[in-house]
Amino acid sequence: MKTRGLGDPLERFLGGPVLWGGLVLATLFAMGPFVWVFLASIKTRTELYAMPIQYLPTHPTFQNYVEAWTSRLTPFSRFFANSLWVSSVTMVATIVISTLAGYALARFRFVGKNTLMLVFLATQMFPAVLLIAPLLSQWHALGLIDTYQALIYSNFSFTVPFTVWMLVGYFESIPRELEESAMIDGSGRFGALLRIIVPLAAPGIAATAIFAFVSSWSELLFATTFTTRTDMRTLSAGLLYMVGQYEIQWGQLGAGVMISTIPVAILFIFLQKHLIRGLTAGALKG
Amino acid sequence: MGNQNATSAVPAPRALLSHATRETLSNYVYLLPAAICLGGTVLFPILKAIHMSLYYNVLIKPQEYRFIGLGNYVRMVQDPTFWLTLRNSFTWVFWSVSLQFFFGFLVALILNGQFKGRAIFRTINLLPWIIPGVVVALIWEYIYQPNYGPLNDLLRRAGLMREPVAWLSNLNLVMPAVVFTNIWRGIPFFTIMILAGLQAIPEEIYEAATVDGAGVIQRFWSVTLPMLRPIIVVSTATRIIWTFNYADLIFVMTGGGPANATQITSTYTLMQAYSDLDWGYAASLSVILLVIMLTFTALYLKLTKGVESVAG
Repeated sequence: MKTRGLGDPLERFLGGPVLWGGLVLATLFAMGPFVWVFLASIKTRTELYAMPIQYLPTHPTFQNYVEAWTSRLTPFSRFFANSLWVSSVTMVATIVISTLAGYALARFRFVGKNTLMLVFLATQMFPAVLLIAPLLSQWHALGLIDTYQALIYSNFSFTVPFTVWMLVGYFESIPRELEESAMIDGSGRFGALLRIIVPLAAPGIAATAIFAFVSSWSELLFATTFTTRTDMRTLSAGLLYMVGQYEIQWGQLGAGVMISTIPVAILFIFLQKHLIRGLTAGALKG
Repeated sequence: MGNQNATSAVPAPRALLSHATRETLSNYVYLLPAAICLGGTVLFPILKAIHMSLYYNVLIKPQEYRFIGLGNYVRMVQDPTFWLTLRNSFTWVFWSVSLQFFFGFLVALILNGQFKGRAIFRTINLLPWIIPGVVVALIWEYIYQPNYGPLNDLLRRAGLMREPVAWLSNLNLVMPAVVFTNIWRGIPFFTIMILAGLQAIPEEIYEAATVDGAGVIQRFWSVTLPMLRPIIVVSTATRIIWTFNYADLIFVMTGGGPANATQITSTYTLMQAYSDLDWGYAASLSVILLVIMLTFTALYLKLTKGVESVAG
């Protein structure tokens, strides 16, 4: 990379003090709230309600985590397991469904293809509140209230349209000749898809998979509406339930917040390159 | 290739269907799982919502359940709270998106600079976007808490405030407070989008502009902004729709209160369903939300010259 216009004093000012000042401010703003809640989660009860406010804990403790994790009223261990299961199954199923559909839309010619693409685009913009009432009566009629299936199926309503949309773009960027030669060599179309296309599109598929996982992990409205039993709640629903039930215990709540945040934060830190490339690819082409 | 096609769920007799027809049918099989999913979780529920919106359906009064035609929609037009929620939605969307955009743009310009530890700073600055909405809401509820929250304390220590303020129960402060939370949450979205756009601008264009004597400000106006135009349009439109529909944050932080001061149309729909148990009226509100959203999407597609340019 060449450095340009170093002679320009304004540019040097902008690239030096202004850049660093802005960076520090932005980072403090982004991190501050997390730091505050993390500190709260390791404070003792007295420290939490000290007047004036005590910012740093003098006796850091993980008691709040132990209590939140083993609590019988708001069992975060159970919420965590529920979230993990619902998000993982949603992710895997979404990828299988969307890989097939994305491949078909990228490769085959058929009537109504553009309309279908438009439907996938529009569906991403549907308000979740629109689906709550009809889905509730639907899951009720099918006896799926308080089941993982209801949550997983409902999550498809927002994961599938987005991932199909993303994967079409990935598949279109892979040259047709590659799978055509595989098909001449005796693979069927499906075999060619599995052996040629999927490995080539792996980064894109990974990005959409993370998207499906993270958005299911965050999902709140379906999870609160389609479950009634405490042991069926996900982390998001469990946190809301905790707030509604008792006077807010900020220590335990802080621990719950950290428990809900850490897995997606770790996922994001390791896979952000793929995720960002995947999410912006569609918009960049526009 | 018919016999090798593992997914061909249409083993039709040869005499009846030509090879071409069979292939077309097997092509549709790839779409089948996605079609079933969206049929069952989107299409059918929408039709069901429209159907529900035509009934008087209050869960605590099952004996009064009956068809009332457009009754719920008539009630909506006459409902002053509904119009208030539309105004609130506008305020919520306008301030959230414009300030997310402004600060997201600034952060993207900063993170596009060349400095040590850029990767770490990038990750930190993008984190608020990845965490669950309910978590964001609870973190900020704690920050705004009048007695034990840090915001009042920090303002007091800085000498900017004397009496503690109850941010989420003050009629004039509550909307700015939830919008501020949403801005914190949404800045990374624009940062990600614009950063990607910035990195796609070829370095040669800047070099050519520099040779032509353009300073840093001129280069921003004549190269950076025009080159970013497509991504700005796409990301802003997506964000407007998303923010308009987004209910989690307000639902958790204030439930639309106090006195409907933060009630936007999507949270009003939720409250009708959860608090008033009026599922007919909630359904009609959600249908109107859908209509508003579809109108906006159509306008947006026209603006970006059709789906082709978005699809690539």
